[in-house]
Amino acid sequence: MSVVAALGRSTHAGGATDGATPTGPGAGSGRGARRLLVPGVLYLVAFFVVPVGTLLATSLYAPVPGGELGQFAPALRWQNYPEVLAQFWPQLVRSFGFAGVATVATLLVGYPMAYVIAVRARGRPGLQGLLVVLVVAPFFTSFILRTIAWKQVLADDAAVVTALRWLHVLPPDGRLSAAPAAVVIGLTYSFLPFMVLPLYASLERLDPRMLEAGADLYATPLTTFRTVTLPLSMPGVVAGTLLTFIPAVGDYVNSSLLGNNTTTVMIGQVIDARFFRLLDYPTAAVLSVVLMGSILVLVTAYVRRAGTEELV
Amino acid sequence: MTALDIDQGEAPASARRGGAALEIDAVTRRFGTFAAVDDLTLTVPSGAFFALLGPSGCGKTTTLRMVAGLERLSAGTISLAGRDVTHTPAHRRPVNTVFQSYALFPHLSVLENVAFGLRRRRARDVRARALDALELVELTHLAQRRPAQLSGGQQQRVALARAVVNRPALLLLDEPLGALDLKLRRQMQLELKRIQAEVGITFVHVTHDQEEAMTMADTVAVMNHGRIEQLGAPADLYEHPRTAFVANFLGQSNLVPGTVVEALDGGRTLGVDVAGTRVRVPADRSIAAGPRVLVGVRPEKIRLLPGDGPGVPDGDNVLGPGTVVDTSFAGVSTQYQVEVGGVGTFGVFAQNVGGAVHAPGTRVRLAWASPFTFALDGHEEVAAGTVDLDDEP
Repeated sequence: MSVVAALGRSTHAGGATDGATPTGPGAGSGRGARRLLVPGVLYLVAFFVVPVGTLLATSLYAPVPGGELGQFAPALRWQNYPEVLAQFWPQLVRSFGFAGVATVATLLVGYPMAYVIAVRARGRPGLQGLLVVLVVAPFFTSFILRTIAWKQVLADDAAVVTALRWLHVLPPDGRLSAAPAAVVIGLTYSFLPFMVLPLYASLERLDPRMLEAGADLYATPLTTFRTVTLPLSMPGVVAGTLLTFIPAVGDYVNSSLLGNNTTTVMIGQVIDARFFRLLDYPTAAVLSVVLMGSILVLVTAYVRRAGTEELV
Repeated sequence: MTALDIDQGEAPASARRGGAALEIDAVTRRFGTFAAVDDLTLTVPSGAFFALLGPSGCGKTTTLRMVAGLERLSAGTISLAGRDVTHTPAHRRPVNTVFQSYALFPHLSVLENVAFGLRRRRARDVRARALDALELVELTHLAQRRPAQLSGGQQQRVALARAVVNRPALLLLDEPLGALDLKLRRQMQLELKRIQAEVGITFVHVTHDQEEAMTMADTVAVMNHGRIEQLGAPADLYEHPRTAFVANFLGQSNLVPGTVVEALDGGRTLGVDVAGTRVRVPADRSIAAGPRVLVGVRPEKIRLLPGDGPGVPDGDNVLGPGTVVDTSFAGVSTQYQVEVGGVGTFGVFAQNVGGAVHAPGTRVRLAWASPFTFALDGHEEVAAGTVDLDDEP
């Protein structure tokens, strides 16, 4: 990247593939633009293509007979995949389940926040700025610290659980700590800004005259929301859910710190344990490949279905 | 969606002729201490093509938005088709608006834009009726397009179809032609008139373009500073302006101060002294209470006579001689600016029917038939309602 900066030319040819379209007129400048891509391509080859290739290869390695812990030899042991999946499919399914619930929860919590900032506070840039800062402010403290703080908030003798017991939302011996709910709550909180900011950007562009036109054409405020506001903010919804769901599936900090190591284990935790503690590299690699592949398939299907390309 | 206060039948509410489609009674809208609309009272009869005309900031759009239910009232009441809707929310008023920006829904096809109101009211035959409305504006072939794929003029017609299809008691048009170029605007003016005649819906049209208001509307209300200056048929407003603002905003006027000095013809004519010259004004065309008046005459009524030629027909008013200071030849007519010492500068439109064009510097006299003279209250500002170059076009 520093090479691009040193050339002092186009700045967005660096890491991104969208620099591939030559923007200048004539074939000569097209070749020049292609040359500007070289650093980016080299970077991607070195730090993306090669690692992914290594990962794929590692996932097929076989243990060395009679070897030590963590000793594997290059091989094409395809049965690694069915074996690992048979053992860890519950954690894999749970990861997608937790991430899905957390994504829906962030959408439900984040949409009203983004709507208030973008639409209700419109015309008051000071207030809008303050509210956006408040959304982002928690990011100035460490991710780990914030998650540990949630552990305190959800502790058995803390105010939240006491209040919920008193309200009979939780049974008298019910708890939130070390439970699936704690992990989902933690995930929801962690990724909320990733939902709010794209939604805000999308709702910010919402023309208030659209809402007036809806009211003028006999739509109640709720119907106007359903038929005008929500469809027009779909690009934000799609971006927000992707930015929340994808990292949430692979997250292991929340499940490690807020979970109970049995019924809350997510796939990130398994990969972490296999790789760093058990030195079982092929299993960790198989799970990583499966995780990447399933996210890719799910996201493609989702974007297709949401039909964002038709949106303005 | 509970029962809407809307006539679900085929006949528009406005088809019940004779009643008032819209009654605005003593309505005021304040923003802080500024009264955008100030104690406005107005009745629009059913089936009318009514224009609210005024410069920007005169309160006409605020009035429209209050009728649509998009703006709150500070005081007063609004009734639609005989029903008080002052506190009825916009979505329950039998009113539709053609917005200045069109405000088409970008995520819906043209057909679904038009069908939007029908669907909200759970009407029957939505598709067929929406297509009928598109046929009215001759856009059936673009029904499946998105608004962004249409030209400005086409979007304007979609906006019109989207409103008309609901057969509202009242259709509001907020400067609907403002974004179109001149040629397209003329075409759409005729189109709008045709559609209004065809569907029989009451139209209330807001515009700052006096020519547009006069050519389209059967009644024009001239607004200024949140009030109605004068209301009437276009020709009536033009020939009988009652304020300097109307005289200047609706076409052009030459206004010069004078003093009423005598009554002639048994009181049917006033003799007015204008800088030493006697001018005759029909008494029924004077609305001045006191002796101080503004004598007015439209530029196209004035004839230019040679500065020292023979007399003029008896009963004509003559001023001058003065000097031509500017001559603009515009094909069908020539516009002159004539400066008359001690009185002021007069604008004159002369049809080019074969007479000589007077070059700047020529000495001329101004003559016009005295029935064309009108007189306004002498305390008014002569320049009220004239267009500044700083103003919007």
